[in-house]
Amino acid sequence: MAISPGWWATLLANILVLVGILTFSTGFFPYKPLLPGLATFQDTDPNVAPVFDKVIFMVVDALRSLIRAGAVLPFTAHASSPTVTMPRLKAMTTGSVPSFLDVILNIAESDTSSTLAYQDTWLAQLKARGDRLVMYGDDTWLKLFPGTFDRADGTTSFFVSDFVEVDQNVTRHVPTELAENDWSALIMHYLGLDHIGHKAGPRSPFMFSKHQEMDAVVKDVYTAMQEEPHLQSTLFVLCGDHGMNDAGNHGGSSAGETSPALLFLSPKFEALGQKLESPTEPFEEFQYYRTVEQADITPTLAGLLGLPIPINSLGVFIPEFLNVWDSGSQKMGILYRNARQLLNVIQATFPTISFDEQAASSCKSTGDSGIEGAQCAWSQIHQLSNENAPGELFPTVGPALQRFSQIAQDVMSSTASNYNVFRLGLGLFATTLAVLLVLPTVHRDCARSIYTGGFLMFLVVSYGSMMFASSYVEEEQQFWYWICSGWLFHLHAKSTSLSLFVTRPKLGYWGFRWSTMCTLGLIACHRVLRRWNQTGQKFTAEPDIARGFLPVHPPVFWGLIVLAYMDASRGLLQSMPFAGLPRLGAVILPTLAFMFKLSFVANDSPELLTGSFISRVVGAWPSTFSLVPQARLVFGGIGCYVLLAILNRNQAGGARGKISHLSLDFIAKNLPLTDGSPPLASNTLFHEALNLFLMTQSRATNIPIFLIFRIQSAILTRMKLNGIEVTITTLIMQYMTFFAFGGSNSISSVDLSSAYNGVGSYSVVMVGILTFVSNWSGPIWWVSVGHLLRPRLDVGYHSPAALLTFHIAASLASVMAACTVLRSHLFIWTVFSPKYLYSMAWATANHIAINLFGGISLSTLWKGP
Amino acid sequence: MASPNSPATAAMNSPGSTSQAPVEKPSAPPVNILPSQLAQTYSYAHPVLLLALGASRFNALVENPVQELLKDLPWLALLQLFYVLLCLPPAGTTVSVSDGPSGNDTKSARSRKPGYRRKNSGKNDWAGIWAKLMPAFLSMSLTFLLATPIIAVLLVLFGAPLTTHNYETVLCAAHMALLSASALIYAHGVEASVWKEVWGIARPADAVWGSALGTGLGAWFGAIPIPLDWDRPWQAFPITILTGAYIGYALGSLLSRTSFIYGKRIQFAPEQEEEEEKTKTN
Repeated sequence: MAISPGWWATLLANILVLVGILTFSTGFFPYKPLLPGLATFQDTDPNVAPVFDKVIFMVVDALRSLIRAGAVLPFTAHASSPTVTMPRLKAMTTGSVPSFLDVILNIAESDTSSTLAYQDTWLAQLKARGDRLVMYGDDTWLKLFPGTFDRADGTTSFFVSDFVEVDQNVTRHVPTELAENDWSALIMHYLGLDHIGHKAGPRSPFMFSKHQEMDAVVKDVYTAMQEEPHLQSTLFVLCGDHGMNDAGNHGGSSAGETSPALLFLSPKFEALGQKLESPTEPFEEFQYYRTVEQADITPTLAGLLGLPIPINSLGVFIPEFLNVWDSGSQKMGILYRNARQLLNVIQATFPTISFDEQAASSCKSTGDSGIEGAQCAWSQIHQLSNENAPGELFPTVGPALQRFSQIAQDVMSSTASNYNVFRLGLGLFATTLAVLLVLPTVHRDCARSIYTGGFLMFLVVSYGSMMFASSYVEEEQQFWYWICSGWLFHLHAKSTSLSLFVTRPKLGYWGFRWSTMCTLGLIACHRVLRRWNQTGQKFTAEPDIARGFLPVHPPVFWGLIVLAYMDASRGLLQSMPFAGLPRLGAVILPTLAFMFKLSFVANDSPELLTGSFISRVVGAWPSTFSLVPQARLVFGGIGCYVLLAILNRNQAGGARGKISHLSLDFIAKNLPLTDGSPPLASNTLFHEALNLFLMTQSRATNIPIFLIFRIQSAILTRMKLNGIEVTITTLIMQYMTFFAFGGSNSISSVDLSSAYNGVGSYSVVMVGILTFVSNWSGPIWWVSVGHLLRPRLDVGYHSPAALLTFHIAASLASVMAACTVLRSHLFIWTVFSPKYLYSMAWATANHIAINLFGGISLSTLWKGP
Repeated sequence: MASPNSPATAAMNSPGSTSQAPVEKPSAPPVNILPSQLAQTYSYAHPVLLLALGASRFNALVENPVQELLKDLPWLALLQLFYVLLCLPPAGTTVSVSDGPSGNDTKSARSRKPGYRRKNSGKNDWAGIWAKLMPAFLSMSLTFLLATPIIAVLLVLFGAPLTTHNYETVLCAAHMALLSASALIYAHGVEASVWKEVWGIARPADAVWGSALGTGLGAWFGAIPIPLDWDRPWQAFPITILTGAYIGYALGSLLSRTSFIYGKRIQFAPEQEEEEEKTKTN
């Protein structure tokens, strides 16, 4: 077969898509220039006596603003998006605002390029002073600060199913460390709370006992600080690195996620006379006490410990602590140091703007913000310090210094990312070129059917324009549900119209009634799917099937799961080309997969088991089996079937007769058989093996969805769609099911619960693949079934690759355009950037790897002899 | 595009396409507005009037959807009744338009075959009134008894809430049924072939079918503003859907009478056949 120019255009377009993504990303996620080196006290800096010589820094992962207050100064520390651990730790230690790139690095955790070893932090300052540091807990700290800690015991944070051991591993070190006198910073990072949140949500029964456990640790530490003489001047900081939303996830920017708790505890604070009521009512969502920025922790710690403020810090000293110093000059010193350091950062960023007494003589108003405001505030400081006697500086100049620091922080946070607009434009240009390259092929395909082609164009154009509205990006699922209902209407109109007007005898069996039944079946399935998982932002909290209905109806839930596995077994059996052992395997393998899922649920979310008939089975089941070998056994079995499908592809012709009665579902059995030849055995076998794999990689509450998929694909098989219709159907179903499985355009909806199935030790590649599969299981299923639905003689008549490339390039181009145009939009880091990250995943992993490469490999299975 | 209502098509339709289905009859031609000056004028004014009335009640609708929809229902029913009685030929009659004001309509009106099945022969006034009242009664009762539940189910299938907002859904369906189904029932009765075409979205365009399809499509497009984060009270469930339906009704009813669209059908080219021909030759 000669390779057509259209084929080359599609190939080139896909290369351009990749080039576009790379170019755009380098411009969009720039590497922020940082001041090198460690900060030191300058001669001009006034000398301020340190108040504390030790710090105990206790991080409770995902601790929302909830905790009681005693002799403490409590705050809500505003964590800016992205609310994942590594960027948050960077913010708390360097005092800077981390770039969005850190989210990706947070997931690819073994990456050492994000290390803070060469950056200035309060840990580095302590180290430089010759102090000793110890750390227990999340090993992210060890990766961020290699070689910093004298004693450490890290726990990996990605085995999210462990609630108990991660924390015991920290707590067991606490008594011995409290007895030691050689450290000046003890860091504890508890992960259990975060794990419970990821697995079971903030209202899980585990939460209460976990909070009690944390309280006990805090109590132990505080008692030691009161009693032990060597801990007399120790500052105890308890904070969360980020919060969690109502589903227990984080990464986004909802109030729950960005409001972690922050407490400073020390007996010394009792003297400050600030008694705060506790527990208290929040005056806003999760806002209990005064809110500070997370970056403010750094200069505050530096001030209290008598360290120079880390060089890149954007934090402002928390003014409540000024009262621990008695003299005004000491307070002035702290504020002056803070302002001086921020001025350095500003001058490095805006080298053209001069900060001296005369520079802003023109400024009148004091309400300015932005860089001019900073200029004004600085000149005002000069004025005031010249006007006032040295002894009275603090009451007058102090507020001016604070105001300058505040303005400087605002200015620097908003310019934290400077985009390379040229690269943004270049990336956009490459992607647009890709759209234009495939346009002729797509136009040729679409021109054949004006309605189908028109629908596709409507889809692409409306999807593209939707990317510019933040609420439509957040609620993208609504678009796909909506367009899917429209497409089903289109298919209905087409099939009934054909049944009414095209009455060739051959099409006679394709009657009006069948087409009606098909439409109603499809739309009913569609309706159930869209309510399975509520997702997005606006309606997330509304009741749905997966979180509302199934957990309170365990018999229905487990009945459906058992049915789904029985159906998987039946599918394997029917597509099996051999008799004998492989047939037996078709029963054993789904049973094993079911037992794995059962133990997985029993481990992770036992509340799903209570009250069901299955809990008695679990009671009898020896629970000694570890999950990892079980998962490996299942994956191995699935691998065998895939191998069988590949080896068998040459014998496919022989098996054709045997599977001609193949019917995908009981509904299908009642429908009249088409005269099209059934899918070849290899493809069906591969699809069945994949089906079982995807079920293993899905959350238990999503497994019944695969039953719905069966009904849908059975109906679609009987509808005898033509090539372009199959392509559009699978395209829409890919996106629709991604959201029906609970996906959204927020980083926090990435489901990590199945990412470690069968993985013994952390490996980026394996975990990455498993994470992708468990989040994109719906799309992958539909790519595979699309090959079974495709009419056999459609090859050359229509190019699915060109059409899919057209859609992905057009949507990517509009996301890029939206990110470029709206780069100063309020929601750029919370809505548009996550969408861009998701688009990258859709384009590279789902489009190029699954749709194109998967498609090519499936069609080699297909051809047979 | 335009399906010829020729005997050839009818003949092609005839061999039993489903085993149980009766032999296909030639489907009903597009419906014309009655030729009288009053009917012609009012048929244009009616959609505009409905839109204006709907707009005047919009704020009250946002305030309390259920109460307002319920209160407006009898008035909408009366208006629709008035419209169909004044402007549309009742089911089972033929209109012999020879020189209607809209000259474009005449051709297809003339093409109607003589001996059309349920031709009404009554010529006196009483029979004429009876011939109008009976379909009007049928139209109203079927609209509420049959069309409303069906549309309510379709609304739910297309995404309307099932566990909440039930009154809103049913009332929304009742309004949509009055907009779409009342005129269809009045003009076509219970003619199976027509309703098959309605279900298959395959009626030739006319004021009646255009407004019905417009109502449905408008309701579909009406869902667009709901996900926006504007937090406006009018984004609540039935309001945008129904607004879309009313606008769609007006647009459909007016557009489908233009000469470009009138009489044409949404029809798909039978591509599958070509493929099957290929299969045979291979």
